[in-house]
Amino acid sequence: MNQALKQAYGDPYLDIEEYDPEADLMVLNLGPQHPSTHGVFRLKLYLDGEVIVKAVPFMGYLHRGVEKLCEKLTYLQLVPIFDKNDYVSPMMNEQSLVMAFENLLEVEVPRRARYLRTILAEMQRVASHLLWLGAFAMDLGGALGGGSTLFMYCFRERELILDLFEEVTGSRFHYNTHTIGGNRHDLPSGWAAGVHRALRTINSRIDEYETFLTTNDIYLGRTRNIGVVDGDLALELGITGPILRAAGVDHDLRRDAPYHAYDEIEVRVPVQTAGDCEARSLVRLAEIRESIRIVTSMVDGVPEGPLTSRKPVKTAISEKIDHGHAYACVESPRGELGIYVIGGGANRGASPYRLKIRPPSLHALSCLPYVLPGHSVSDAVAILGSVDPIMGEVDR
Amino acid sequence: MTILGQVPSERCQALLRDRFEPRDCDTGGPPLVAVARHVELATTLRDELGYRIFGFVVAAHYPASKSQEDGVDQIRIAYGLRTVGPSSELAAWQVQVALGETVPTLAHLFAGADWQEREQYDLVGVRFEGHPDLRRLMLPEDWEGHPLRKDYAIDTQVPPWR
Repeated sequence: MNQALKQAYGDPYLDIEEYDPEADLMVLNLGPQHPSTHGVFRLKLYLDGEVIVKAVPFMGYLHRGVEKLCEKLTYLQLVPIFDKNDYVSPMMNEQSLVMAFENLLEVEVPRRARYLRTILAEMQRVASHLLWLGAFAMDLGGALGGGSTLFMYCFRERELILDLFEEVTGSRFHYNTHTIGGNRHDLPSGWAAGVHRALRTINSRIDEYETFLTTNDIYLGRTRNIGVVDGDLALELGITGPILRAAGVDHDLRRDAPYHAYDEIEVRVPVQTAGDCEARSLVRLAEIRESIRIVTSMVDGVPEGPLTSRKPVKTAISEKIDHGHAYACVESPRGELGIYVIGGGANRGASPYRLKIRPPSLHALSCLPYVLPGHSVSDAVAILGSVDPIMGEVDR
Repeated sequence: MTILGQVPSERCQALLRDRFEPRDCDTGGPPLVAVARHVELATTLRDELGYRIFGFVVAAHYPASKSQEDGVDQIRIAYGLRTVGPSSELAAWQVQVALGETVPTLAHLFAGADWQEREQYDLVGVRFEGHPDLRRLMLPEDWEGHPLRKDYAIDTQVPPWR
């Protein structure tokens, strides 16, 4: 890490014994059961008065051993397991996983399935960012009509999208709709009209919510110039997604390393330069609108054709491979979600030998020890909320 | 040999070929680079070719029966870095050490390597030399063993969580 960054940010390896011996430090554990940690996450804060001197994150409370489980289950059995990693955007998890397996097994995906995946992914992004918006408003408490007003509004809007997903896949959260080589469920008739109706509603209400935020003095006071992550720090920490784009770095895998059908459509990438909590909120709000635009432009033109490139697989064990490394990444609502898979494991080659998830939230959280020192405890809550961590995928 | 599904980065391959004497890996995947030159490679990729986003660290354990060298357990660690902006490229390489040997850390080059290396230390048991804070990341500190080793049975009994 270069000197300029070291001076601008807190030192995560600070020896607390060497900090001013006159100071009366207090240790405060934020979490693991604190509501503003968005899951079970513990921050050990060393406080000098109300100012944070050092922050030490602890995680693993939700560790389920998913990567070990991957060595035992077969490729197809793993898809529903991965819905539970990032439980706010399960579509992205499934897609990154099946894309990694398709790369490993060298399977082509038909064009109709690629379009379908793009549409589902973008709708999932809207749902995920809506949940973030509600939870963030809740974190800021009294700023927005007692906090829970916007939370309830956002959940109402998210429900519209979950209903549409239910019409396609039969379930609201854990879809299991992707399979190696395509999708399982085709679009029901009349679905596109429902999509247009729901997205039009959400689009008009997003304007209203943005006005809520940008004209509220308490909101601006709690987010502007709070928790600045600049571009150099974000790149060095491997942070991707809205946090990187809010720091002025124009990087989005949908445009820069296209997958699905993103090479056939235009993706406009919203960028902000301030890098603070407000900029991160604005980027996410702009992404909601951009995703709505993408879905609206695609949903009427889904190409005809087969939905999967292979015959239905009768037994879970019939996908086999004995060698090779594959990597697939998608731009999840939180950044680059990557799956690295090494073929040739148990079940005579029908399981991965080693599978590694690159969770975007883990990298996003790693900015906390740098950013938090110098802020007060109430800012810590706002910063944690603006990072949007999902502990299910951090701990795996 | 490269990573399936990713367009091989020609600049990275040329750099490896010209300066780092890569070897092919018998299990496939990115080329193997000597452990001694691994930090130099990461520095060159970051400073000269613009691979500035830290990608991943993946350690995999190969028991002696599976690895062909000297009948010793091997650990292979794949690293990935990514460029910023339009037509983003992934550069990847592997290093190999016998079980129990250390690997030089990248945490002083990329702050993002810190937690990823801690995770691999926790789950696979690779020691990263020079790491500023090598503690377990996921599991409690008094956990015995490293779950992602191949000799760690999936049904290993552990005492109930405190």
